[in-house]
Amino acid sequence: MGFHIASHLALENKDVVVIDNNPEATRRISDNLDVQIFMGSGSSPVVLEEAGIQQSEIILAVTNSDETNLVACLVANILSPSTKKLARLRDADFDEYHRIFREHAPHIDTIINPEIEVVKTIYRMMSVPGAVDVGEFADGRIKFVGVNLEDESRLAGVQLSDLPDIIGKARPLIAAVVREDELIIPRGNDRLESGDLVYFISEEDKLLDTLSLFNKYDQPVNRALIIGGGRIGFRLASLLEENSIYCKIIEQKPDRCAYLAERLNKAIVLHGDGSDQGLLAEENIQDMDIVITLTKDEETNILASLLAKRMGARKSITRISKFSYFPLMDAIGLEQVVSPRLSAINTILQHIRKGKVLSAISIKGEQAELIEAVALETSEIVAKPLRNISFPKGAMVAGIIRKENIIIPSGDSVIEPDDRVIIFARREAIPKIEKILAVKLEYF
Amino acid sequence: MRWRYILNIIGILIFFFGLTMILPLLVGLYYQDQSVIPFLKSMGITVVCGLLLYLIFKSEKAEVISQREGMAIVAVGWTAVGLFGALPFYLGNGCHSFVDAVFESVSGFTTTGASILTNIAAVSKGLLFWRSFIQWLGGMGIIVLSVAILPFIGVGGMQLYKAEVPSPVPDKLKPRIRDTAMILWKVYALISLAETILLMLGGMGLYDAVCHTFTTMPTGGFSTKNGSIAHFDSVYFDSVFIFFMLMAGINFSLHYQMIKGKPLVFWKDSECRFFLCTVLLLVIVVSINVYGSVYETIGNAFRYGAFQVVSIITTTGFATADYEKWPAMSQLILLLCMFFGASAGSTGGGMKCLRIMLCFKYCYRELFTLIHPHAVTQIKIGGKAVPDDVMRSVVGFLALYMGLFALSAVMLAGIGVDFRTSFAAVAASVGNIGPGFGLVGPADNYAQIPFWGKWLLIWCMLLGRLEIFTVIILVVPEFWRK
Repeated sequence: MGFHIASHLALENKDVVVIDNNPEATRRISDNLDVQIFMGSGSSPVVLEEAGIQQSEIILAVTNSDETNLVACLVANILSPSTKKLARLRDADFDEYHRIFREHAPHIDTIINPEIEVVKTIYRMMSVPGAVDVGEFADGRIKFVGVNLEDESRLAGVQLSDLPDIIGKARPLIAAVVREDELIIPRGNDRLESGDLVYFISEEDKLLDTLSLFNKYDQPVNRALIIGGGRIGFRLASLLEENSIYCKIIEQKPDRCAYLAERLNKAIVLHGDGSDQGLLAEENIQDMDIVITLTKDEETNILASLLAKRMGARKSITRISKFSYFPLMDAIGLEQVVSPRLSAINTILQHIRKGKVLSAISIKGEQAELIEAVALETSEIVAKPLRNISFPKGAMVAGIIRKENIIIPSGDSVIEPDDRVIIFARREAIPKIEKILAVKLEYF
Repeated sequence: MRWRYILNIIGILIFFFGLTMILPLLVGLYYQDQSVIPFLKSMGITVVCGLLLYLIFKSEKAEVISQREGMAIVAVGWTAVGLFGALPFYLGNGCHSFVDAVFESVSGFTTTGASILTNIAAVSKGLLFWRSFIQWLGGMGIIVLSVAILPFIGVGGMQLYKAEVPSPVPDKLKPRIRDTAMILWKVYALISLAETILLMLGGMGLYDAVCHTFTTMPTGGFSTKNGSIAHFDSVYFDSVFIFFMLMAGINFSLHYQMIKGKPLVFWKDSECRFFLCTVLLLVIVVSINVYGSVYETIGNAFRYGAFQVVSIITTTGFATADYEKWPAMSQLILLLCMFFGASAGSTGGGMKCLRIMLCFKYCYRELFTLIHPHAVTQIKIGGKAVPDDVMRSVVGFLALYMGLFALSAVMLAGIGVDFRTSFAAVAASVGNIGPGFGLVGPADNYAQIPFWGKWLLIWCMLLGRLEIFTVIILVVPEFWRK
């Protein structure tokens, strides 16, 4: 996980130091990333001091071991109390205590668990029909959705400025279009083409209307099959149980099956291989509304998803870590993909960004980011019409939340202090956006 | 097996048991009846025998008791207490033959409530008090009581406790077994006190109230009246008895938790919920069944239906109606209730709800695996997986229970008892209920059972009270091998 975060931050021209005790991993990092590397344990005060903890703004303790992460934060706090400390805790037993730890454990500023985020993302994808990518802001009241534009859609080939005429009502705010792996921030005279991945922002209650423009209709999920009973699979199954969705889960290891069977109450735990056609047929794969493949091995996931769809499952969500596979997904017919790596980055981004950032979501391929932040009184963006603000190239204000209202902004809109603004920005523009959002006085 | 040590412990047990006879002696003295002399004699014999056993087999204090020894102590201890408890009946005006006295005594200790006394009203008050009192002692368990109050049974208490407490998985409420035993007895005594007070508020005399409390709380079923509870013929008393029979049929560790301030615990516990729902369902079915055919008003149908179902399913065995005159369906339901029994960890007998529940779940799992051959499932109670060894012991228990029931019923019929009676008498004895059907129905009693039949039923009652394993293990040859 550290690798992905380091890579993301390094690409934003930040100074990153990585501590790891696995020679294999450090070599991989030094070969691929422009970061500094220290061999050793992250919980060792000597190593931390050597790595320059005193000068760091933030330490991310994200090893696989909860205990190491907790100790690393503790040690870091002794060495450098002013550094912000973030720990990753994976054990579900800690779930209830995240907030309490944050408030009462002085050496930890934030606790993250990307697995929770992955499961939330999967659940959102299940509830938003046809969505390739879903994020939310303002406690879920604003959704940020990516959908594929298909040939039959009436929006295909339409110029953006003509949109209101075709739809006949308020148009959805189209934030970005990904065409042949290229991110475009569309202007009025750009056209939508079939095959585009269109990102738009919509209020929650208007979401289904908007999706119907793209020929995506609501099909409730009642039966789900999960392949792979690891941490994510287990969490997802528990979540589905809570929402009374009938669910089956296939796991290969007998021990893990017993563990799952003990902890899940309604879900049916099956022992076997998720790509075993006989098993899938036996469990009525053709009646499944959705198949979610979550094993550690992404090739297995892809094949299992394809097999399941071929055998009649309606939808599939596939867990994939390698971004290099993303462009392929469309070609082989897998629309919905989740990446724990992306979720990990999203959970961490908001804590790294300067200013009062509430959440930050990186879109597929990490070419751009959506940031939800509080507009501070001293910030440059406050109290003047948007068109007069010198926004960096490749960035735009996508939405303003003022108390309960959501404003889709135009050039004349004015941001007031304490508004929450949603900003869409390409990677190159992010450092400048951070500067705009940050309080000028912060440095004095 | 250290028999010297085991007999030594049993000596202590008998000695203290002898001392408890002071209580009925005092009652006898108060009422100036003819039970005083027999009690003095019995007490003397018991105390002396206990002391002799203790002195003859005086051995070093053992640090640990093995599971085998624990079972032997409990099984032999119960038999001995059953025999010595019979002395007052034999020496007094209760029973004419020794087997009758033992039958009455064992029926008391095992909380069965099957009686051979034909005219209860003629028996002295001291003896009737003794009859109720031994049920109260046997209900929560004499061994549990000893563990709680006798300091020298401290070590190995857990082995004894496990051998006596009727539950597949004994709850340990406190880290130390003595504290657990103490708590159980305190809760038991507290609820008993509540019942006595409620009965007296309804106008029952102190003597009758105490005696009936002593037989309700252990789900025993002896009454001081010829007509059992029907003698009082009062809706108030019926409801009080129904309530306390249900209480006695619920796991006592739940009562403890409730007293500790968790009122919802009864509903949260899956076994208790299952028990209460089953009772409710059966009460409704039986009430509808007897409405019209036996009772004219729905109120009466419900009153008698509810009382009889609760009385039988908690294995108490009080009677307010002669259910042998009821329709066949109700009779069959009552017969099945005898097998069903109360909750594990309660004072009731039978197979116990928990085991029935586990058995159902086990069967369902088998069916489920036929539909999903690759499914991995766990049998769960209250969200927790039941370990395989517990499941095995449950299946073993149910098989043994039914097997021994069948064998005993055939033997009883072989002795010359009719079909209906032998079936029900054995079911009512193994399940520690009391009244059965036929010759041993609620309006009759066990006096007519032949000599050997009584011994057979005595054995059945002990089997049922000690949950089979503890008793049956004594006849397994492997048990005796060095």
